[in-house]
Amino acid sequence: MQIIEEIKNNELVSNPSEIQKICLDKLKLNPLPNVKSELWRLSNKSKFSSFLDYSHKNKESKVCIPYKNSSQNIIRLIIGENSKINLEEENYSIKELKDSEIVDYIKKNISTFDQNDHWSDLLNHCLSSKKNILGLNISGNKIPSIEILSASSSDSFNAKTLILFFKQDCKVDLLQINLGDENSSLSQSTYLCLEENTSVNHGVVSYGENKSNLLNSLNVIQKAKSSYSLGSLHFKFNYARFEIRINQLEGDAKTIIKGIQITKNKDQIATYTKMEFNGPNGILDQVNKSLADDKSHAVFEGTIIVPKTAQKTDASQLSRNLLLSKNAKIDTKPQLEIIADDVKCKHGATISQLNEEELFYMRSRGLTLEEASKLQLSSYFQEIISCIPVSKDRWNLLDKLLEET
Amino acid sequence: MQSKTKELNPVLEVNNLFASTEDLPILKGVNIAVNPGEIHAIMGRNGCGKSTLSKIIAGHPSYKITKGEIKFTGQDIQSLEPEQRAQSGIFLGFQYPIEIPGVSNLEFLRVATNARRKFLKKEELDTFDFEDLVREKLELVKMDSAFLSRSINQGFSGGEKKRNEILQMALLEPKIAILDETDSGLDIDALRIVASGIKKISNKKTGIILITHYQRLLDEIKPNYVHVMSDGQIIKTGDSDLALELEKYGYEWTDNFLKKQ
Ligand SMILES: Nc1ncnc2c1ncn2[C@@H]1O[C@H](COP(=O)(O)OP(=O)(O)OP(=O)(O)O)[C@@H](O)[C@H]1O
Ligand SMILES: [Mg+2]
Repeated sequence: MQIIEEIKNNELVSNPSEIQKICLDKLKLNPLPNVKSELWRLSNKSKFSSFLDYSHKNKESKVCIPYKNSSQNIIRLIIGENSKINLEEENYSIKELKDSEIVDYIKKNISTFDQNDHWSDLLNHCLSSKKNILGLNISGNKIPSIEILSASSSDSFNAKTLILFFKQDCKVDLLQINLGDENSSLSQSTYLCLEENTSVNHGVVSYGENKSNLLNSLNVIQKAKSSYSLGSLHFKFNYARFEIRINQLEGDAKTIIKGIQITKNKDQIATYTKMEFNGPNGILDQVNKSLADDKSHAVFEGTIIVPKTAQKTDASQLSRNLLLSKNAKIDTKPQLEIIADDVKCKHGATISQLNEEELFYMRSRGLTLEEASKLQLSSYFQEIISCIPVSKDRWNLLDKLLEET
Repeated sequence: MQSKTKELNPVLEVNNLFASTEDLPILKGVNIAVNPGEIHAIMGRNGCGKSTLSKIIAGHPSYKITKGEIKFTGQDIQSLEPEQRAQSGIFLGFQYPIEIPGVSNLEFLRVATNARRKFLKKEELDTFDFEDLVREKLELVKMDSAFLSRSINQGFSGGEKKRNEILQMALLEPKIAILDETDSGLDIDALRIVASGIKKISNKKTGIILITHYQRLLDEIKPNYVHVMSDGQIIKTGDSDLALELEKYGYEWTDNFLKKQ
């Protein structure tokens, strides 16, 4: 665990920024998360340590756009590769945050962090240099789709940070793409702040190459009357963690989370979600899917917190999992902390296999086992993929997935 | 006991077939032979093994053949996968058609039809040509094209599911069709529609096995042979009058017949 050693010995960053200094000091005393805690106990120890084995000093990343260019009007940004962004159009504006705004915002957040809960973000802020932090103020509607790419480069560890403020009444589609190169680790921390009456349709697509690792942390703050929809897809990682924390600050907002993770070989991919309602009338509609093949391991834990102030919360969480091999493993667990008494909270988890009788029915009509399985899998994927804001003719995610599985 | 229907070139031949699932024997020496153009009916008490026989012919992986053979156009098919059997012209109309949520009926029918066409060395159909074909076949079973855009059998009524089976048979143009209680759950009009559909699809080259509990279907489609199955065996074979006698005397009558043997 090269990075941990360097943190301990004060060798990680030669010229740390203010934020890096704060985070390095925090981690120096206690550089690792508590492996016995709920958030980390299922994490594969040797994979986790290999995640921390790449040096962050090696290379800057270089992004290859994973699909064909199109005539559609898209605002594409690459974290770490951008020159100044300052768009002021008739219906919208997108402006870079000032350095001081970024520093203040991250500092404010760090001061509230529980070291174990937010270990991924602390590590990210230790490593993410000023160049690799992108912060934007976004306002208006009729905004073209925004795409933000983040990548690691082979044989190295890259850390990227994204901070987006969505101003009141803003309405936007945002696609975030995290690409892992061969033998690499990527730490991506993202902060989204949704002001009142905003509507953000967020897609996260993360995939790697041979022996890629990912630590993807997403923090979302929702003010009243905001609507946040997340469609996420994680696949092809040796080791990946997707941590989602969403806070409906005043309740009275809508959150949709539809996620799928696909594991093969000996991969481990885990998703942890923490949904907090801090006011009444909040809505959550969550579906998480895991598809595990070969000797892989998928983990999903979804926490929902409904304190006394969050009366009339309406939350639904489903975990629908598919095991494709006897040697694969799926762990799934809901964690409900409900104190308010007048709430609707539905949750459920299923783990199943491809249905034998359905397969036989299709085969008895001449479809090969492969074709029949593909049809079943596409229907399984489709529910999630349809929530990712990218048009099918630009990037056919379903085809890409079927190729991979 | 041996059925008397064996002839020179049967499309389907089941010889002394024994089969079991998880060591539970279900078929105990079934013999049947169907020639091109023939219609056979199989009747018998609930649980005697009719559906099991049909699923084994279609290649269901849950059952194991312990003795005997199944020949299709002269070839032993034991080593063929279910899809190979279907492509080469074996069709099973399910007693309980399976609902498959999320998979489009139209797409399913198209892939299935093309798999069969490929085997027959016919040109595969694109979406447009296929829609023309399927509309023509829908007419045979008087089904609304709205069913095509739904998921396979999902939320179909019992009768609609059975019509969807016959639609598939019409598209696949099999050499042997085993229709497992396709008449159960059909109202009087639907029964006539389905029966006339089956008659239109079948020709001198197709063999048909109707598994049924009721005379009604056999009034519409007159079988050449009626077999009575009991505890995993065909215990009696006769002509279409046998079904009428069964209607009259019940299965105890054939049980007695077995005792006399
Ligand atoms: N997969 C299985 N596992 C266990 N038992 C089975 C299985 N398949 C069939 N059987 C048993 O084998 C026997 C024959 O079943 P089958 O479905 O073939 O009857 P059937 O003649 O079609 O009856 P019905 O007229 O009610 O449709 C039954 O006792 C049934 O319970
Ligand atoms: Mg049956």
